[in-house]
Amino acid sequence: MIWNRLSLVCILTLLFQQMAFAQQASGDFLRSIGHIYVVVAVILIIFFGIVLFLIYLDRKLTKLENQIKENE
Amino acid sequence: MIRQSWWKILAVVILVYTILAGMLIPLKPGIAEVTPRALQAGTEVELTVTGYNSYYSKAKNELRAWLKLKGDVVLKAARIEVLNDRTMKLHFILPQYLPSDSKDDACSLILDSPIDGAIVLPDGIALTQDSVNLLEGKKLWSVDKMDQLNAGPKLTFPYRSVLYESIRNQYFHVPLWFAMIFLFMFSVNFSVRYLRTYDPDADQRTLALNRAGFVFGLLGTVTGAIWAKYTWGAFWSWDVKQNMTAVALLIYSAYFILRGAFQDEEKKARLSAVYNIFAFAALIPLLFVIPRMTDSLHPGNGGNPAFGGEDLDNTMRMVFYPAGIGWTLLGFWVASVAYRVEKLQQRLLDA
Repeated sequence: MIWNRLSLVCILTLLFQQMAFAQQASGDFLRSIGHIYVVVAVILIIFFGIVLFLIYLDRKLTKLENQIKENE
Repeated sequence: MIRQSWWKILAVVILVYTILAGMLIPLKPGIAEVTPRALQAGTEVELTVTGYNSYYSKAKNELRAWLKLKGDVVLKAARIEVLNDRTMKLHFILPQYLPSDSKDDACSLILDSPIDGAIVLPDGIALTQDSVNLLEGKKLWSVDKMDQLNAGPKLTFPYRSVLYESIRNQYFHVPLWFAMIFLFMFSVNFSVRYLRTYDPDADQRTLALNRAGFVFGLLGTVTGAIWAKYTWGAFWSWDVKQNMTAVALLIYSAYFILRGAFQDEEKKARLSAVYNIFAFAALIPLLFVIPRMTDSLHPGNGGNPAFGGEDLDNTMRMVFYPAGIGWTLLGFWVASVAYRVEKLQQRLLDA
């Protein structure tokens, strides 16, 4: 369970690194087509931010579920 | 189920609308570039205009263009040569004198097309003359008139140089702060309730609302930094509002640290409730008072006019206000899930 979640976090970090790398490689990618990719980046950040918070809550819930199982 | 969670469905509907309308409605046609930017009186000049979202070829024969000086004096383009939808060449025959009492002046460029509407490039072009003759200049420049300008497409967002398409961040970056403020406001409400009733449930609600609010604040800061990089030139410009939000978020992060410092549940709840009230009391001047007192890059602060007028037109309001409601509802949804987790944990601890 924990490994599943850790791997998800790893994938997300890798994705962000890839995005940062793509940005460096093609200089002005975020400035192309009238800065539209700045908006895309902002939406992606909000999305992944909320997903990370969900993962945090999910892990907490898993712990609680395990505790309930132990109690039974 | 539906009766209980209607507001969650509403949040999803509004956010889908926000993303669709916010991303699909095009920008108003604008002038991306004009060369050359400096003209000499008494010469014939050729201006190359690069448009943004423009359709010059479609309105080839009905295009009109003027140079406009102060006092509503205009000079009409003698000839317009359309190369494609995005490029055209304007030919102006500039009179010997300018209607101006100095050798240097600046003029605006105005384009008019039945498809794109009237487009203004304000004071973007410098004019120079060798000698001053105000009367003659006024006479020479009063031949042409600017009339019957077209309205252009209705459903568009404003075209602003520097911002361009990133004006759409208004529906994603700004509402995060609305959501944060509302979440923190409700958390203060529950802190007060805790101090009056010592009901642990109020403390759990406070904690959940603060967690969600903090997440939204962090996201607001990061998205703001990205937007700032491409409009102000740096991720962090030490702008007063950026600094004050950083201070506010640090104050709130101390709330979570403070909670971790107590073993005794009641002491933890009581002290963090008091701290939370002070944190919110600090938040209001940090975000709404101090940034207005000095110069700031943020609109609506210091010497900077509020995001309004040409920056926020009625089409934008149609998306921006629902976006504020949608993101706030999402914030409360996130908070309610965090609250239920907290509640469950507390119940297990008590059992």
